[in-house]
Amino acid sequence: MLKRLLLLRGTEIIVLALLASIPLFISNSYALGLLTLLAIYGILLIGLDVTVGYLGQVNLAQAAFLGLGAYAAGISVTLLGFGIFESLAISMLVGLVLGGLLAFPALRLEGPQFALATLSFSALCTTVLNEWEGLTGGAQGLSLTRPGLFGYAFNAQGFYWLCLILFALVWMALRNLLSSQWGRAFEALRDSPIATDAMGVGTYRHKVAGFALGSALGGLAGGLYALNFQYLQPQGFTYDLMVILLLGVVLGGRKSLWGAFFGASLIVLLPNLLSNRLLFEIISALGLLLAVIAGIRGRLRKTTQTFQALAPVVAMSLLVVGGFLVENTENWRKAIFALMLFSVVVGLPDGIMGFAARYLTRLFHLEPPSLPPASALGDVLPKKPVNNSVLLELKELKRYFGGVKAVDGISMTVRTGHVHGLIGPNGSGKSTAVNVISGLYAPTSGEILLQGKALPKGSLFKVARAGVSRTFQNLQLFGELSALDNVMLAIKGAYRIPLPLVLLGLAKAEEKRAQADALALLELVRLKQHARTRAKDLTYGSQRFLEIARALARKPELLILDEPAAGLAHPDVNELVDIIKAIKQYGIAIILIEHHMHVVSELCDVVTVIDGGKVIAEGSPAEVKRDPKVIKAYLGVATEPDGPDTHPLPV
Amino acid sequence: MDSNIIAQMAVSGALMGLVYALIAYGFQLTFATSKSINFGQGELVMLSAFFSLTLLDLGVPYWLMVPGGLLFGVAMGLVVERACVRLSLEQKSEGWILLTIIFGLLGFSAAENIWGRDDRPFPTPISSEALHIFGINITPVEISVAIGVCAIMGIVELFKRKTLLGKAFEAVSADRDAAELMGISATRTIMLSYGLSGMVAAMAGILISPITTVGPTMASALILKAFSVAVVAGLDSGFGVVIIGIFIGGLESLTSYYLGSGWREAPGLLMLILALAIRPNGVFGKASIRKV
Repeated sequence: MLKRLLLLRGTEIIVLALLASIPLFISNSYALGLLTLLAIYGILLIGLDVTVGYLGQVNLAQAAFLGLGAYAAGISVTLLGFGIFESLAISMLVGLVLGGLLAFPALRLEGPQFALATLSFSALCTTVLNEWEGLTGGAQGLSLTRPGLFGYAFNAQGFYWLCLILFALVWMALRNLLSSQWGRAFEALRDSPIATDAMGVGTYRHKVAGFALGSALGGLAGGLYALNFQYLQPQGFTYDLMVILLLGVVLGGRKSLWGAFFGASLIVLLPNLLSNRLLFEIISALGLLLAVIAGIRGRLRKTTQTFQALAPVVAMSLLVVGGFLVENTENWRKAIFALMLFSVVVGLPDGIMGFAARYLTRLFHLEPPSLPPASALGDVLPKKPVNNSVLLELKELKRYFGGVKAVDGISMTVRTGHVHGLIGPNGSGKSTAVNVISGLYAPTSGEILLQGKALPKGSLFKVARAGVSRTFQNLQLFGELSALDNVMLAIKGAYRIPLPLVLLGLAKAEEKRAQADALALLELVRLKQHARTRAKDLTYGSQRFLEIARALARKPELLILDEPAAGLAHPDVNELVDIIKAIKQYGIAIILIEHHMHVVSELCDVVTVIDGGKVIAEGSPAEVKRDPKVIKAYLGVATEPDGPDTHPLPV
Repeated sequence: MDSNIIAQMAVSGALMGLVYALIAYGFQLTFATSKSINFGQGELVMLSAFFSLTLLDLGVPYWLMVPGGLLFGVAMGLVVERACVRLSLEQKSEGWILLTIIFGLLGFSAAENIWGRDDRPFPTPISSEALHIFGINITPVEISVAIGVCAIMGIVELFKRKTLLGKAFEAVSADRDAAELMGISATRTIMLSYGLSGMVAAMAGILISPITTVGPTMASALILKAFSVAVVAGLDSGFGVVIIGIFIGGLESLTSYYLGSGWREAPGLLMLILALAIRPNGVFGKASIRKV
């Protein structure tokens, strides 16, 4: 634990001290310019990593935010006569506000549409910067003089230190933020927006916040860029730069501050690498070597496909051969970026830092930080009074899809402390019914009351907040997050510290508490020893149990389990029954959709049978099993009089 | 204001809009089968145009050049599918966005170095003598664009509806898993869709080049407008792209007349962002139901 802290923090401090002291020893203005640019691009790439790495969206607008921030600072200085910090604040604000505004339309969008929205935004920005000549000077460019501070004019060295300090501050703030509930929420909505909403962690505000934050950092970097170069042109912030920035983030390594730093160094040094033929040959040969080694290793361990192993080798070979053939490598700059980026995206998706981090962790025998002891389960899930009162009431609930009456007037009552079975043949409307209750679909008509109050309609997020929690028939786990993080994300009421304090790193205590509570829930579903395992690496049965633990973390009044036993092996089904019995002890009412009749018989107090979107029977498991209507729905009616038309359901 | 000039601008803009519609149609083809599109499609148009120009320079007659150019487009489409799309689709990731952007970058750089950075004229046997129709000047080249766009879209649609392979295409578009269960290879169908998409892109390049000239920068100018058309119409809307293409083409032409040519792309881009905000499935697209 201490070793880990020493190594990680120690490296950060040493690198920072080294970077800060370089100008004291070397008085080379060219090198100083590169270092300044490194700090600026570092801030920019950390911002880009929030959207590309954590939110998992292809963001093509970061170059535009750099430009907007730069022009905001430039105009603040030239037209408004602002000082250095005021103009930087304006830059950041412009990034924050425009990023937030752009995030609104981009909100509901996934993948390609998000990329298109940001691409159009970038193109629009370039148009405006070019054409609004009165403000920006258009293609002529905008010149400014860097203002001083308290009468002290910044020289190049002083300005470099300013950039470095800001870079270090951004680094620390983002490290705190991304290791808090915010960082978890960003990753969760990347893996499953539906489950993020269903766990009461609004995708809406986190996506906007994440994008606005990344853009604000872009704006800040832009402000520094303007003050550094003191001359701006719209052509500096186009699509070409955007691709280079993506190269930096992806090559450096997503979801990593060090990756952003490494990527920034690469971007800063690239022009020099390309202009020197020998250096270029060495780099491309090293790249080829790396591709070959990684390819062979991947093939031997069967972790990669042939294409994944071969394509980077082909791309890198092209680079090496091309390096000999072409006259001027600088003319082929973009092709070189393209080939490098291609190799990394295909062959090394975690980037260089992702690769290095794994290697270094093993080299230094670094263990993940230790976990606190689990809380008592009784503290996490306080016992609810069970008095047989009405908890949930459905009145004539209907949901039509076009002409399909999936749910056609269901009325039912769930009482506190009950396990309420919901059964019916395939396509009878069970899943649609719970999807309407949990807010995934709005009802066509009808009412849903929880403890006598109307439940919000058509919003997973609001229903989750109202005290209804659910699992999904088709698993909706946050695959990239650990089992522990999956549960921690959902814990209700654990995160109260406001954002500014989180940025300052003051959320550690509440984080520990949430860990302890989450461990208690993992223990309940027998996954405590897998707390650090990524959800997507768990076995199928464990994944189903993890969904239950995550849903319980909402401390719900009502828990909806949508076919929890589907696809489970027999021993796992027994374990599931034990887990559900344990949950019942805490007075949490459960709606259980299930096809395994023995599970239903063993657990349920009441069973409602639906068919064709309507309730056809209700009663104790034994009662409904004898009901002729139920038997007919499941087995059909024999046409021959002596046919086996009154067999009870298989038990 | 002279209403004649407005009509003139609108009509020639609309004709250009048909080419945007054709490129957008190429997006629809691949989106239907694989829910992916080629972000480097603009470069594909440009590379095909340059290749066709080279064929002409080598003395290939115009009417032989056309199939040659189209074949080149098909080949490039298949390269994009193999190198940039297939792996990501197998991994169910969105890596194809980045990889097709990379393809575009490589194509751009290659074109810059092989054919040079300058715009070059693209000869055509079709006359560009203007004809006067109802007081509006239209050149036969512009008419050939309209005919060419409609012809190739018609042929592809006929292919989809009348041939067995085309039916497989429709089946995979409707439900990939069900189609696979019926013995249709989704991978091959996606290859087919990228091939067709490449062909359509090459056709767009051959049609528009006589009017705009050929140069590396034509890629970015075209692709933004094609994106606008595709998104505003809806990525799965069929012929909606034609209507939106004509509309955006005309609007763009009028904007550049009134506000200056620097602003010509702005309305399309704004409409794209607005469409994504208000109707993410496009004006003609259908909203889909979220399933869990």
